[in-house]
Amino acid sequence: MSEFKKILKKNLWSENQVLVQILGICSTLAVTNRMLNTLIMTLGVSLVTGFSNLTISAIRSLIPRKVRMITQVLVIAFYVIIVDIILRAYVPEVSKALGPYVGLIITNCIIMGRAEAFAQGNPPILSFWDGLTAGLGYMWVLLTLAFIRELLGFGTVFGVKVLPSSFTPWTIMVMPPSAFFVLAVLIWVIRGFIIRSEIKFTGGEKK
Amino acid sequence: MKVNKESKLYTVIFSFVVTFVFVFVLAFLNMLTASNVQKSQEFFKIRAVLNALGITYNSYDDAKEKFQQLNKLQHNGSEIFVNTVDGKKVYAIIFHGSGLWGPIDGVLAVAEDLETIVGIDFITQNETPGLGGRIEERWFKDQFNGERIPQKLEISVSKTSDDKGDGRVDAISGATLTSKALEKILNDTLETLRTALRGGVKNE
Repeated sequence: MSEFKKILKKNLWSENQVLVQILGICSTLAVTNRMLNTLIMTLGVSLVTGFSNLTISAIRSLIPRKVRMITQVLVIAFYVIIVDIILRAYVPEVSKALGPYVGLIITNCIIMGRAEAFAQGNPPILSFWDGLTAGLGYMWVLLTLAFIRELLGFGTVFGVKVLPSSFTPWTIMVMPPSAFFVLAVLIWVIRGFIIRSEIKFTGGEKK
Repeated sequence: MKVNKESKLYTVIFSFVVTFVFVFVLAFLNMLTASNVQKSQEFFKIRAVLNALGITYNSYDDAKEKFQQLNKLQHNGSEIFVNTVDGKKVYAIIFHGSGLWGPIDGVLAVAEDLETIVGIDFITQNETPGLGGRIEERWFKDQFNGERIPQKLEISVSKTSDDKGDGRVDAISGATLTSKALEKILNDTLETLRTALRGGVKNE
């Protein structure tokens, strides 16, 4: 398996940022009550993670160790502000709907985690790929969460009504606490699945 | 010559150069898009005023043109727009107030009698998406249309029947604080409008 494929599989599944590493939880709780907001936010996170990884990796041999983290934060903030500027200038509607969430991408631990754990020690293109796929791994988990929450909380999917109007929306699903429950159940189910397939693979022996 | 990457001088120079370059690029981008951003901000305002007044438009230019035809009044810093339909005046006032998380700005349109609400629309708000943020939704804003408010407006969860004369509209379940904040803002706005128009304002 090539390096790229391995990274893809790790980030989407076996070392998923949200499900396995439990990173980026704050934004998971905040944005997952509407699928559209979730999609745009996670798209932003994927691009920012990819490009900040690319940049940090490209200048990694120049960065003094003492200011390593400051530089990473600077680069991340740079890309987040670019995303914000682009949204505000060209798709003001979306920017309005997302409100403060775009700025909050900066605080997403996944981005800094990838910069520190991967981009510091790997070549630029590989780092970009790692960042992008880490973002995509985050995206699919959040979209799944948002799907469950929006369906039960509003009876809609991407704003389109799918459940009959006799359905009583669960207000709890709209509020952040429900993300705790849904996420926990999701992690439980998927981790259980991963562990079971590992046991089958290794015959029950520890790797 | 080999540069010592861990020396103080290098660290300072590196930090300075990196910060300078990134901030420079951002400032440049910001400048490039500033006119676009301003245009869309202005359009949000124009659109809110027209929506509140119930004026339809089909494009950006159309909206702008119709907006410029409105009469404009100034009173203590609040902007009031006047539209005349069939000889009757409709006032639209721009309001600013604090919601639960941040400012709520919008437009409230009131008929000549200063008691009947014609429409309401929001320019900016940062309420909880899915809860307080639903003040932007059609059903919520439409409730205000034609509502008569002789005294004070009430945004209440106990509103049941669709009675346009009781000065009450349905609040959003799960967003009590936003509903309360909005109630206060709108009452203050009505108050401002009433003092302004009954007190006499100068035409701009």
